[in-house]
Amino acid sequence: MRQRITYLIHNPDEFDPSQLHVKDDSFTLESVNAAKEHRLTFSLSELPQELYRVLRQCHELHIRWVTETPYASIPPFVSRLSPGLHAFFTSHKGNEADLLCPLLKKVFGDDLKCESPKDTFIGIPTLSERFSMSSASQYYQILPSLKNLITYIQQKICTSSDTTCHSAAASLLSAAYLDIDYDTISHALVLNAFWACSPTGNTWTETILLRQRAETIEVGVLGSERAVDEEDLAFSGFLTVIGEDSKPKPTRFSFPSRHHPLPFPSQPHPLTYTAYFTHPTGLHPTLHLTFPSSHLTSPDESCALHTYLILPSTLFMDKYQLSDPLLLSSLNLASLRSISGATDLEAPDWVVSQWGSAALLELAVPSSAPPANLHIHNRHGHGSGGNQNHTISIPLHLRYLPPSHSTSTPGLTTTSLPWPAVFWACRAEEAGAPMSVNPFDRVNLGYEGLFGPKTMFYHVPPSPGRGEGRLVEEVQVPVLDMNRAGGVEWGTVVVVLAGVGWVVWKLVEVVFVGWRGMRDGKRKGEGKKVQ
Amino acid sequence: MVQLFSSPCYVFSAAAILRAVLLIYGSFQDAFSPLKYTDIDYYVFTDATRFISRGLSPYTRDTYRYTPLLAWFIYPTTWQGWWFSFGKIMFAIGDIVAGWLIFLILRSSGKMATDRALKFSSIWLLNPMVAQISTRGSSEGLLGVIVSALLWAVLTKRVRLAGFLLGFAVHFKIYPFIYAASIIWWLEDDKLPSKKNSSPARSKSLTQLALGFINPARVTLAVYSLVTFMALNTTMYYFSYRYGYPFIQHSYLHHVTRVDHRHNFSPYNTLLYMNSSPTGHSSVKLESWAFFPQLFLSTVAIPLALAKKDLPSTMLAQTFAFVTFNKVCTSQYFLWYIMFLPFYLPKSTLLRDKSTGVTASILWVLCQLLWLHQGYRLEFLGISTFVPGLWAASILFFLVNIWILGIIIEDTGNLGDPALRKVTVD
Repeated sequence: MRQRITYLIHNPDEFDPSQLHVKDDSFTLESVNAAKEHRLTFSLSELPQELYRVLRQCHELHIRWVTETPYASIPPFVSRLSPGLHAFFTSHKGNEADLLCPLLKKVFGDDLKCESPKDTFIGIPTLSERFSMSSASQYYQILPSLKNLITYIQQKICTSSDTTCHSAAASLLSAAYLDIDYDTISHALVLNAFWACSPTGNTWTETILLRQRAETIEVGVLGSERAVDEEDLAFSGFLTVIGEDSKPKPTRFSFPSRHHPLPFPSQPHPLTYTAYFTHPTGLHPTLHLTFPSSHLTSPDESCALHTYLILPSTLFMDKYQLSDPLLLSSLNLASLRSISGATDLEAPDWVVSQWGSAALLELAVPSSAPPANLHIHNRHGHGSGGNQNHTISIPLHLRYLPPSHSTSTPGLTTTSLPWPAVFWACRAEEAGAPMSVNPFDRVNLGYEGLFGPKTMFYHVPPSPGRGEGRLVEEVQVPVLDMNRAGGVEWGTVVVVLAGVGWVVWKLVEVVFVGWRGMRDGKRKGEGKKVQ
Repeated sequence: MVQLFSSPCYVFSAAAILRAVLLIYGSFQDAFSPLKYTDIDYYVFTDATRFISRGLSPYTRDTYRYTPLLAWFIYPTTWQGWWFSFGKIMFAIGDIVAGWLIFLILRSSGKMATDRALKFSSIWLLNPMVAQISTRGSSEGLLGVIVSALLWAVLTKRVRLAGFLLGFAVHFKIYPFIYAASIIWWLEDDKLPSKKNSSPARSKSLTQLALGFINPARVTLAVYSLVTFMALNTTMYYFSYRYGYPFIQHSYLHHVTRVDHRHNFSPYNTLLYMNSSPTGHSSVKLESWAFFPQLFLSTVAIPLALAKKDLPSTMLAQTFAFVTFNKVCTSQYFLWYIMFLPFYLPKSTLLRDKSTGVTASILWVLCQLLWLHQGYRLEFLGISTFVPGLWAASILFFLVNIWILGIIIEDTGNLGDPALRKVTVD
């Protein structure tokens, strides 16, 4: 097992190297105000049999979990994904990977909607096979907490006496996101957890122990710097390899990065977005994203604002509806760039086997008038007063959900939609090293494969202000209330049968009258003849 | 108003102008408003046509559930600019042709004076609902022209043409197969000029009756319709390997297997929603038996009891029963029977007895409004109105329809039968 632990100092001015203490087999931090990334690399032999058997069925597997609680990102950990559990997966040729879903359920929770990769996962469209850097299929599930994973690690991976292992697993409870990566080429399982701040809310005071000589633990304490090249991220700070270095080694480095924070002299950048539904949502909820217009300036001419939506199967988007330019511009949308997954326009939720769908939308931005003139020229702003907001609307539709027996909310079922990821996608120049040299590079997020390889993402963070501090919107879905539907069954049958009876009676009357008329007529005719 | 009905010229010009105005208005609304005048179905057709023009199957377009012929028929919509409206124009022209055929039938078979025939044809020709549906680009109007041509061909004894049209109509939209029963039953020997002096029915044995049933006209109709239907299907199936199975699946099987859970006017709707879902299990296997009352009434009982009295009214009753008892019912389906109203209304209780007529139409509209209100509360306000609201409204609407169907049957029963009429005259 190899470990790399990186602390990113929130405010480099407040940091003093004396807060770090290096010993022979340990590294101690004292009250360091920072974000933290902990990266563990396991070789396959270190894994339990159960995991190994599943990984053998995978060509690559990338699991991403993101918290529902808003968190502040810090370079280089700025990339964003919708909160919840994502899996990006490519199977070995011809392998159905039948063990994957059972394992996901076992590790992350029994209530995961996952039958098999073939039934439940959705394909990821790729720009071109040649440049494809993303997995073949994708899975998603709302998952508020990693409780199940923590229990799994504590029971299956930690030995019962290993308290360090138990508490390390428990610390995942406060992680902002967790990445788990495996691919056949590296033949290693990489676990990568990120904490936006210390679980206690303030600073990190902890000791990292080197427990076996064979282990490698590398600790970095870094501060973000201004990079010379706009496409680079630069850092300075201290690196320590526990057991090798006797004191923190000062360092300064930069690298081209795929993911960037919004460029602004001071952080945090004032541009954020808020997602919400307008009420009543009905069966056609419209998701709105609002931005403060004045800060909605593109980082570069080549950039376009995008949102990447993860839609659980209860909700869907109508790609045909979103093909009309007039409608798109009235919603402040530029285009629907990509949609994949469960896009059937008619199917009720219970016949959809896939987890849902994923869509990439390009958003319209107010015409690039200087901020001072925004009030006059910004036709798209929906806000009132001086603080203009730019609102975009995304029309969604609800599937029919199963009838409900619930008595607490009769006739209503709740479904959830995670906030989408929002970013500027910009063209990167050809010069310089590829982005993958970035030691903190993060790929397999679902959307980066929908762009060319030379694309940079400037991420717009969600605003923590609105809602109950959760980056998940809930929608009340009207369903058939089974408590009141008792009479429906026999009622319908009785009414239909009565209807049939009435019509048949009318027909019998017609036939009978006609028959009698004919008989009487003939009799009369015969009588006439006789006369 | 009287002036309008004095000449076919006026009425047909008015019908054409009405549609032209709607077409032009529609293209303006489409061009300037995100809220489209054009029906979603029309985008489905034109998308499918575009796929065809690129050498792909029309079924590449989701929810395209029609014969490939329809997509081919509006092929010019793939050309740029105004050609997009080509299909709508064809549908509108189809509407007017259907109106013309209705007028012809009323004049010839109904022996009506021109102005009266025009008045009744206007139920179709000047009906804003009809004109709107076709100019919005729904293909239901096209069906109007096929079915009215079928009726015209039958009534004017063009049996081979009728057979062809029947086969074509069924290929186009399945439901016209119900007319086969009534037309066959109606085509008895004495309806045909050549066999006027057949022996009286009384002297025939059962075998003779059975043999007598098989007359040349019936055989011709059956053969022509079947051959047309099968030829079209085979062509569509083999025309290109791409259409193959999807054609069968989307044009035909879909209608058998579909469980249309989204709310609609059908009385079965709530029960189907309940039955098809995993949680709302129900003991009644409705999907399997819902076809029985519908098919029994529209293809057996009604044709047998009524077809020999008056064919157009019988077809109205059949269509009315078919739509009323259908598992799915939306307002476009009403167009299917509106087409037959001009033939039935002149002799109906609904017109003769003002209070019945007014009550029937008020109830028919009222129940729909009631349903629409519940539908609005569900769809846009998110209130769970499935029970009792929507269910009760659809049941009420069903009952009103049944009552009206009863009146139509009664009226049709009192018509026609020449023997009976002679007796009453005596």
